Amino acid sequence: MKIKKNFLKMYLLLFTGIFLLDKPIFSQDINERIKILEETLKIQQETILKQQKIIEQLQDELQQIKKQTEKPEILSREKRITSGGLFGAASAYNPNISLLLDSFGYTSNIKETKLESWNIPGFISEGLNYKKGMNIHTAELYIFSPVDPFFNLYATIPVKEEGIELEEAYFVTTSLPSGIQGKIGKFKSGFGRQNSQHVHTWYFVDPPLAYRAFLGEEGITEKGIQLTFLPKFPIYTQFGIEALQGENEILFGEDATSGLHAFSAFVKTSFDIGENSTILFGPSIIVGKTKTSSIEEDHIFSGDSSLCGFEFTYKWKPSRWKSFTLQSEYLWRHQKGTLQDNSSGNSQTLERTQDGFYLQAIYQKGRWGFGTRYDILEPFNDKYKLAGVQENFEAKPWKTSAMIEFNPSEFSKIRLQYNYDKSARNGKNNSEWFLQFITGIGAHAAHSF
Amino acid sequence: MKSVKLITLIFFLIFAGNLLAAINVVATLPWISSIAKQIGKEKISLTTLVKTNQDPHYVEAKPSLIIAARKADIIMYNGLELEIGYLPVIIESSKNPNIQPGKIGNFDCSKYITPIEIPTTTDRSMGDIHPLGNPHYHFSPINVLRVAEGMVEIFSKIDPSNENYYRQNYKEFYTKWQTKVQQWKSIKISGKKFVAYHNLFSYLANDFGFQIVGCIEAKPGIPPSSGDIKRIIETINLTKPQAVLITTYTPLKPVNFISEKTSLKIIIMPHDVGSLANTDDWFSFMERTISLLSQE
Repeated sequence: MKIKKNFLKMYLLLFTGIFLLDKPIFSQDINERIKILEETLKIQQETILKQQKIIEQLQDELQQIKKQTEKPEILSREKRITSGGLFGAASAYNPNISLLLDSFGYTSNIKETKLESWNIPGFISEGLNYKKGMNIHTAELYIFSPVDPFFNLYATIPVKEEGIELEEAYFVTTSLPSGIQGKIGKFKSGFGRQNSQHVHTWYFVDPPLAYRAFLGEEGITEKGIQLTFLPKFPIYTQFGIEALQGENEILFGEDATSGLHAFSAFVKTSFDIGENSTILFGPSIIVGKTKTSSIEEDHIFSGDSSLCGFEFTYKWKPSRWKSFTLQSEYLWRHQKGTLQDNSSGNSQTLERTQDGFYLQAIYQKGRWGFGTRYDILEPFNDKYKLAGVQENFEAKPWKTSAMIEFNPSEFSKIRLQYNYDKSARNGKNNSEWFLQFITGIGAHAAHSF
Repeated sequence: MKSVKLITLIFFLIFAGNLLAAINVVATLPWISSIAKQIGKEKISLTTLVKTNQDPHYVEAKPSLIIAARKADIIMYNGLELEIGYLPVIIESSKNPNIQPGKIGNFDCSKYITPIEIPTTTDRSMGDIHPLGNPHYHFSPINVLRVAEGMVEIFSKIDPSNENYYRQNYKEFYTKWQTKVQQWKSIKISGKKFVAYHNLFSYLANDFGFQIVGCIEAKPGIPPSSGDIKRIIETINLTKPQAVLITTYTPLKPVNFISEKTSLKIIIMPHDVGSLANTDDWFSFMERTISLLSQE
């Protein structure tokens, strides 16, 4: 019986189902729903396609980002410490300052009063100003620093026993194009070799005779403008011109005329020979108006001067501990004008054409240095025509020197030098000894070759 | 006609160099050149100022170096005051605005590294000490890698069209670096002790775990006094190091004396790329360095 009841139920259900499905209202509803479903599906498909595109795009981007970040060990900027840069630790904002003390002991076979009149007749009337015993040449203050991205500033301020001087104060351009550089202020002229070098880098205590006779103890250190040009040649060739105030007391003189009245030009060429040798050479010329009382006592010379020079340096340096340097300069000077006697007021024409030459050799081994120098004036030209008459000065002035130096470190030097000086043309000789001490402290600018 | 041809040829020879290479790189030290070469390859032309046999502390600002700097698009230097005795004057005298401090062409490698041994106080009674830290970081693989990375940045800035090229080269460099460093680390040097003439090997000692027990040159830049030599002999007798490390430019007299007194072996180490045979690039230079140390 139970089975029969169930059967009946099933049958009823089936029947009702068919009946229901067969109804048109129901079928309409379903069609619509399918439609709706289809539409939804379409929309969904579109969304999926869109999303797929986005995913692809993202994948691409991710790939790129991955590529970029594949750089290993990216260093975070914070970890990078800023170092002092090219000029070192001291240049945070303070300029680099150094002080160089140049002192020497001195003795000679002639009396101190005679030294004061130890002049070079026909060239200069001034004698030597060394004192027997201890001398302080200078305590020299060097200051330098970049000003801004366009200029570097340098100053050399020697403190002497007589007071403070402004030996050099100039700025150098760093941003001019095409290898051009300007220098404005007071500076050592690029004329010649030894002239532009600081005194403490010289190999001997005193300057060569030709320098003393033609440029004076201080050299050509002038106010003015310098332009140098270094073209991109295969070998180093620097061209320079200068317009200077012309205050050098031997060669020009402050009162010669107003304005810039000394003009110079120079060329320096240099190349290496093999691994360890370097040659540097070139001509220089400086011309200008002159008014000076340095030729003869109580006489003033007014006229025109021109000084030509040729420099030559050979350096062999196989290591820090060994070097050999040969340095030489030839100077030729022409002057024409009038020589006036201060007391009588008489004046005569003076024309002089004279020359000078020095050759020095320095051998350095370890912390020791050995050097010798030979100086001569008038090797080829000794024209000195006063009122058209050649003056006869007898023997040619000459001098020879030897030195030995010891450098305890890069910042100190002890030097013993002997000079045999026959420059006074009086038959006498000045045998002089120097014991020089150079010590430097602070941040000193690197030296050029 | 002949003269015209000749002039054209001369002009070509002068300017050809500029046309062929994109960037004219001037590096002070050989190791900097070596890294630059591996990053820039044929897209750069290279000039090295300091020769492989020279002590990089003491170089003269020769005009030939100035004219090289004149032609540079970029100057790359070690920094930490190593080149302070000559580089500032070379850069100023070059009259080349591209390479002045602050310009893109003035590349101080030490900006990318982490220096060690920064002294807390210095004065020159201690000798010519480096106040910014030990400048001989080219013995330190990680620091050299960072410098290489800096070079990629700067080359890409100067020559953006070849950025991918520099990146690719760096990737190659990095891959080689990884394998090599792994090899080097597996060589046993740690725990060993050495004496050096100059304080050159501190980074190496830090990275590879050996010890520099003392320096013959007690004050940098100043040859040792007899007192210094006596002290170092005492140190040697006390600590029993494996060898004394010198370079090709070290003065031999004090070293030989110490070696005789203590029967300590002398090893001539490469101080830079190319300073000894088989140190033609930075990797072989490091390899040589490490193998020399490991043999003791």
